[in-house]
Amino acid sequence: MAEDQHSEEPAAPQANAEYTPEDLQHLSDLEHVRKRPAMYIGDTTGRGLHHLVYEVVDNSIDEAMADFASNVSVVVNNDGSVTVEDDGRGIPVDVHEQLSEETGREISTLEGVMTVLKFGGKFEKGAYQTSGGLHGVGVTVVNFLSQWCEVEVFRDGHVYQQEYERGIPVGPVRRVGTTKKVGTKTTFKPDSQVFQTTKFLYDMLYKRLQELAFLNRGVRIKYHDERNGEGEEFCYERGIIEFVEHLNRASEPIHGEVIYLTGETDGVGYEIAIQYTAEFTENLHSYVNNIHTIEGGTHVSGFRAALTRTLNNYGKKENMFKDLVPTGDDFREGLTVVISTRIPQPQFEGQTKTKLGNSEVESIITMAVGDFLGKYLEENPRVAKTLVRKGVLAAEAREAARKAKKALRDRKSVLGGGGLPGKLRDCSSREMELCELYLVEGDSAGGSAEGGRLREYQAILPLRGKIINAYKSRESKVLENLEVQSMIQAIGSGIGDEQDIAKRRYGKIIIMTDADVDGSHIRTLLLCFFYRQMYDLVADGHVYVAQPPLFRVKAKKKTYYVQTDEEMKTQLLNRGLEDASFDSGNGHLVEGEEMRKLSTTLASMEDALLALERRGISLRNHAERMDENGKLPVFHVFLGRQERWFSSRADLDAFLQKQEAEAGHELAVGDNAEPTSDSAGNGQQGPELHIIELHEVRTINSAMSELSEMGFDIQSLIPQERTGVEDPRYVLRRGEHESALEDLRSLLPAIRAAGEKGLQVTRFKGLGEMNAEELRETTLDPDNRTLVKVSMRDAGAADEMFRVLMGDKVEPRREFIEKHALEVRNLDV
Amino acid sequence: MATLQCPTCDVPFESDYSPAMPFCSDRCRHVDLGRWLNEEHGVTIECDPDAEHETAWMEEES
Repeated sequence: MAEDQHSEEPAAPQANAEYTPEDLQHLSDLEHVRKRPAMYIGDTTGRGLHHLVYEVVDNSIDEAMADFASNVSVVVNNDGSVTVEDDGRGIPVDVHEQLSEETGREISTLEGVMTVLKFGGKFEKGAYQTSGGLHGVGVTVVNFLSQWCEVEVFRDGHVYQQEYERGIPVGPVRRVGTTKKVGTKTTFKPDSQVFQTTKFLYDMLYKRLQELAFLNRGVRIKYHDERNGEGEEFCYERGIIEFVEHLNRASEPIHGEVIYLTGETDGVGYEIAIQYTAEFTENLHSYVNNIHTIEGGTHVSGFRAALTRTLNNYGKKENMFKDLVPTGDDFREGLTVVISTRIPQPQFEGQTKTKLGNSEVESIITMAVGDFLGKYLEENPRVAKTLVRKGVLAAEAREAARKAKKALRDRKSVLGGGGLPGKLRDCSSREMELCELYLVEGDSAGGSAEGGRLREYQAILPLRGKIINAYKSRESKVLENLEVQSMIQAIGSGIGDEQDIAKRRYGKIIIMTDADVDGSHIRTLLLCFFYRQMYDLVADGHVYVAQPPLFRVKAKKKTYYVQTDEEMKTQLLNRGLEDASFDSGNGHLVEGEEMRKLSTTLASMEDALLALERRGISLRNHAERMDENGKLPVFHVFLGRQERWFSSRADLDAFLQKQEAEAGHELAVGDNAEPTSDSAGNGQQGPELHIIELHEVRTINSAMSELSEMGFDIQSLIPQERTGVEDPRYVLRRGEHESALEDLRSLLPAIRAAGEKGLQVTRFKGLGEMNAEELRETTLDPDNRTLVKVSMRDAGAADEMFRVLMGDKVEPRREFIEKHALEVRNLDV
Repeated sequence: MATLQCPTCDVPFESDYSPAMPFCSDRCRHVDLGRWLNEEHGVTIECDPDAEHETAWMEEES
């Protein structure tokens, strides 16, 4: 037994006192390592120095990964030595038969591990399935390259210990006492005769130990540095998933969860964690048996091949590619991935021997990743689409950058600022600050504008929106390619980072579009373009929107123009109210101030009533749902097959609380704003709840309370069934003229109609309906026109609206349009 | 400084750190330019029942 030998042997024999074959062997190993350390640890700089620690720690990690240890501690001592301790099985200390036979003396396994190269459990699969450590040279090399080294083994209730100086045992393996601990504790001081530096760097060890903790989930690594008192404890229950999260901690992930797969094929174990971020670079970390394979290798190429193929297959199947199909490089943008493999017989290639060469690994990883990812994408279409879109974007960026570069090289092209566009009617002056460029919607308006302009200072560029049908299968209006190019050419200040607003050819860029929905869309599009691609032009306040009038009004002797619907309505109303009185049918005659108040109140609810009716709810029906306080219901509620109406939030809440109490759980809110046929309550979660809020009814209720003060109830707004022979219900009188009204709602149109008497009101359907003179008078002449300077806020809002209008999501767009339906003017900037 | 959302990649970014306002990066600005030049930017036009309401009050009188 080993301990017998220990107790009998004299202490500290000189290793070279006897000349034995074992010594020859030993010395040749030792000398070789010390003469050519770089062959074993790479180099003798700081990198090689730190490698010593990793070699020892790797042994402890192996114990941990084989489930024999769970704690590893690394301490940098004050004297510059390092102590690594684990709670594993401890290196065996009894006599090793084979080794003893070979050397002709009894020698313990521990001493063999520490002093004989290529001796240890790692070369056979029996002791460890796979193991880390560079090429298995392990702790022996650490010992050989240390000024001194001490190993303590805690095993079978005893403590065993042996010391070495420059690789040579100072004494035999000794039993020094009893213990309850198990494990191995190695302390070594790197030899300054070998290393150019022997100073361990805190950060370098920190990084590697943390990395090891990520790679070996659940292993607890305690790190302490006595020199600065600092330290850390690493333990990651989710392993490389947490590694990826750690790598992405400062980035913006574009999908929530880290994609993770693990498995084993033909003895090759793999573990891969993937997450994409908004970054443009790839962040790939690959490992083989805990060794960082900086140069990659077959495991990495296998992964990449599968990633590209799987994402491309998905993209094709889902029709996500237009012209460009992303390449592998495109799918690497923003990719953070950790690939950890365990391979029994790794072959390393490359300059630093950190490139995996095993060819069988490539196909194993490709298959595994392809199978997993293909299934994952099917099951997680949202993530899948996000990832593919990211790749498409990268491909697009690559293509756009190439085009832009080419365009900039090509002097004749648009971006190079070549000639002027053919459609431009330029001004004659070259005084940039005084010159103005009108961007005019439509060719006919362009013609009028050309005729009406101040030729010296005003230039006209007609633009045309083009309807195309290809875009996302919905009708879509775009400005033609040529139009965007024409604008860039005409303005002359360049785009993107080539912008130089000092070079612009006009002091003001003025957008002039029709006052209809199409016009507002084209204006939005233009503002969005300027905001995105000519940012400085907007930021410096050189972009304006012209305000052509919407109405021409001809009175007896003069003609004038009115800009907006509201203004026109107000004007007609004011005119109509002159001398007007209203017979409410109960003997009361409304006139003067009271008449004005009545019409103001009616005007305030006019749009709201239209909005209600647009929902398919008639005022007549809704009036029947009025509550005891005279309020119309604001909430339309469906719960399963129940349909209810509530006029206040309090009533609604009371109902919901009662229903919840009865159901004994929270009510399930349906996905759609309105109930579908299958949400009537057959599901296990009980009936679905749908609440529709009729915002406009608030306005109606508020106006109704004003009306009731004036003596009118809701019925006054609704035409009544009448025989037709009695007197009219209401009468509007204006001078001698009388008009009969069936309800209060028709009062406003009647007043306006009265106000229009003697006027000829024309609504311009578009700019093209104005002749050159009119256009000059109203929109071009600096003395009469109204220009609105586009602020950054306006432009930003246009950009936001553009995103909503052209976005994929139908719901936000519908909401947006509904929200603004009542205030179409808001669509105009 | 403001946090904006890049029009191309939808990722939030701080305006002070962007070399390519109002985008998060030159790359995304390039992509956007490519889309303008390729006529990929458009505004969706849908059948809009509200368009009529604008003028409804005038037609009632005639």
